[in-house]
Amino acid sequence: MSAEPDGIAPPPPGTGPSRSRRPPMWQVAAAGLAVAGAVTAAVLLSGSGGGTVEHSAPATAADGLRHTAVDASTGSCGRGWIRPKTGTQVFDLRNTGANATEVYLTDPHSGKVYGEVEGLAPGITRPMVVDLGSGSYAFKCLQEDTDAVTGPTVVVPGTVPRGPAAVPVTQHDLIPPTLAYQKWVGDRIGDLGRGVKALEADIDGGDLAAARRDWLSAHLVYERMGAAYGTFGDADGAINGTAARTPGAVQDPDFTGFHRIEYGLWHGASAASLRTPAAKLVGDVKALDDDWSQERMDPADMGLRAHEIVENAEQFELTGRTDYGSGTNLATARANLDGTKELLDRLNSLLVPRDPGAAKLTATLKRAEADLDAAHHGDTWTPLDRLAHDQRQRINADFGDLLEQLAPVAAIFDVRRTA
Amino acid sequence: MTDTHEPVTGAGDLRRRGFLRGAAIGVGAVGAVAGGAAALTGTAASAATPAPTRSTRSAFHGAHQAGITDPVQQSTAFVSFDVTAADKRELTELLHAVTDRARFLATGGTPAALGITDSPSDSGTLGPRVPGDGLTVTVGVGASLFDHRFGLADRKPARLTAMPAFDDDDLDPAWCHGDLSLQLSAPHADTVLHALRDIARHTRGGMQVRWRMDGFTSPPRPSGTPRNHLGFKDGTANPDVADPATVNRLLWVGGGTNGEPAWTTGGSYQVVRTIRMLVEFWDRVSITEQERMFGRSRDTGAPLDGTKEFDTPRFAQDPAGDVIPLDSHIRMANPRTAQTDNSRILRRGYNYDRGMDSDGNLDMGLIFVCYQQDIERQFAAVQKRLAGEPLVDYITPFGGGYFFALPGVRDRSDWFGRALLA
Repeated sequence: MSAEPDGIAPPPPGTGPSRSRRPPMWQVAAAGLAVAGAVTAAVLLSGSGGGTVEHSAPATAADGLRHTAVDASTGSCGRGWIRPKTGTQVFDLRNTGANATEVYLTDPHSGKVYGEVEGLAPGITRPMVVDLGSGSYAFKCLQEDTDAVTGPTVVVPGTVPRGPAAVPVTQHDLIPPTLAYQKWVGDRIGDLGRGVKALEADIDGGDLAAARRDWLSAHLVYERMGAAYGTFGDADGAINGTAARTPGAVQDPDFTGFHRIEYGLWHGASAASLRTPAAKLVGDVKALDDDWSQERMDPADMGLRAHEIVENAEQFELTGRTDYGSGTNLATARANLDGTKELLDRLNSLLVPRDPGAAKLTATLKRAEADLDAAHHGDTWTPLDRLAHDQRQRINADFGDLLEQLAPVAAIFDVRRTA
Repeated sequence: MTDTHEPVTGAGDLRRRGFLRGAAIGVGAVGAVAGGAAALTGTAASAATPAPTRSTRSAFHGAHQAGITDPVQQSTAFVSFDVTAADKRELTELLHAVTDRARFLATGGTPAALGITDSPSDSGTLGPRVPGDGLTVTVGVGASLFDHRFGLADRKPARLTAMPAFDDDDLDPAWCHGDLSLQLSAPHADTVLHALRDIARHTRGGMQVRWRMDGFTSPPRPSGTPRNHLGFKDGTANPDVADPATVNRLLWVGGGTNGEPAWTTGGSYQVVRTIRMLVEFWDRVSITEQERMFGRSRDTGAPLDGTKEFDTPRFAQDPAGDVIPLDSHIRMANPRTAQTDNSRILRRGYNYDRGMDSDGNLDMGLIFVCYQQDIERQFAAVQKRLAGEPLVDYITPFGGGYFFALPGVRDRSDWFGRALLA
């Protein structure tokens, strides 16, 4: 029996997880430990247990839960679990090895993970709280720089439904959607470049009505790309930054980009006074475009971004914090939903088998879109402060609900090793 | 998701998702039987509100809701919600979710373990195990819930209306009314805030906070009924909730009687009023004038014709108001005549403190909450008698609402609003 009984192929060399696997050490350590892993995995426990030395008797602790002490080192991964029972319980995982380790409680057949402890330091014991139903389980110990070792399979008897679990998402899984998403963002940067040039031309030509219209179009292009704000780094501050709340802060020369121009366009500024900010925006977008080919989005950010875009929309758009006069926060929020959907569409095939709420998430996103669209009238959007009370409450409810359903997405797409 | 209620029985998990996070579909599907729960602690019990003999089997289940006849607790949050659920089905799901969370929070237990599938199911602010801690959760419904949205127009409690503005009120619409009221009370503020955070998390799609006021009850100083921000004991003359005849006459609604729909049995009308107290102004008033405004001694709480807090004022022997002025608060609110006896209310007020006003004054006051069988016969009658009382110069009622506190959740298969929505 191999140390990888669940049939998940290890990622090909060169695409492994970024979390501190140094290839030279990995090679050396793996040679020694693969044997130990195979041996432990061969010990199959059933129901009442037997076969391994009892590590520590299960006991009920002050938290009212059943506790079982389990070894989490690669040499004896999973040792100590000999009296399997259903229900919410705690495994006190002790790393007796010399290096930090990740510990997963898996179903060795499906590869689903029921619980995890990350970064368990040598000599340290930490609890893993899990809710176990009936079925097969095995601990998996993934020490830094070594191959994963799967402990003995333990069968929890009975017919109790199993607790929540998901097959881990690996870096390898996320590379195709990340590349596709990165390409999509690159295409949008092209749109953005054209949009800010149109805005600049309006301002240079003194047509401020056209400028206000083209400002919104270009800004929404940028807001649809919201997922990439981390990737954009400092460019985001120059293109879409806000001013401090202190009086006069809008005059700060460091306040540039869309919101600086918005402030002028909706506060009676002259076209001449906006030429410099418009040219600066065009330049900053061009710099972003020039740098983009060198940027690499971290696949681990995909799931996080999906929820962070909406978190930001709630924090900065639904509160009006980023309004500098245009009253288009709801349009921005709507564009943020578009950006979220771009991510979710690319993650969908990985998400659906892992999140029983995936269909509900789609419905919730649609509901939020529809309630925002109700505030969209031709070229204009209802400003936040002119929404009817019930309309605003409904939009707040939509976003709150959506965020709660995006939290599992972020958790599920936390990149995990499987081998 | 499933939390493990006390005692731990190891319920297997069915991950339940409706349009709300973790909302229940099929209540009672999960095994753990609530039992052995701590009895209510009520450390801040008002002497005037003796602890009732609530079942020690459960802090949550009963014919009436918790938090009505129970002694006031040290900490509370009164929250009014706008229901954003789209239809009756979603409203039903919302009330299931509120029930599930309230049952778990009031009973205590270990929060659901969600593994790698989600962020933690609990905020952790009460530690790894939710203690119950005597939390009471009291849910009411406002008249607006019975509009066209949920098809409930013909089920409205007979005496439920939107709260009107009374003389001396200065109501701010942002602080008034609501589809649903939720009062959370416990001996500790962290328990109250944990419960509010948990319930809000599980119901975001179905309801949004309309207004919220947190409050507290002071310890007896030095004894008897706790004091309000004006320095006077508040709630001395409450009806005896341990007397079945009294509560059946003054407190509980009986479905099928007095024109009330059948589902209302076991409920009670809830009135909440947020009342600002102008404490700086009050502190500049002489003690004689303060006491004559209330009709009681500030130090002892005794009526001005008595010596101890629970002495009964003898208005009949003071017809001209020489001792207890005719326009004093206690005399106008409760003249203690045969005609006014059935207008008595059960008061469960809390003090609030919420920072400063724009003029640099302390922003503090009273969350006046009272329960009764009939708002018009009781609270409104009292309020109308109080119109123009001298005390109004020092207080400003600015918010609140009328609600109907739902019948209690009887057991694990029951839920808030079951009879209403059946």
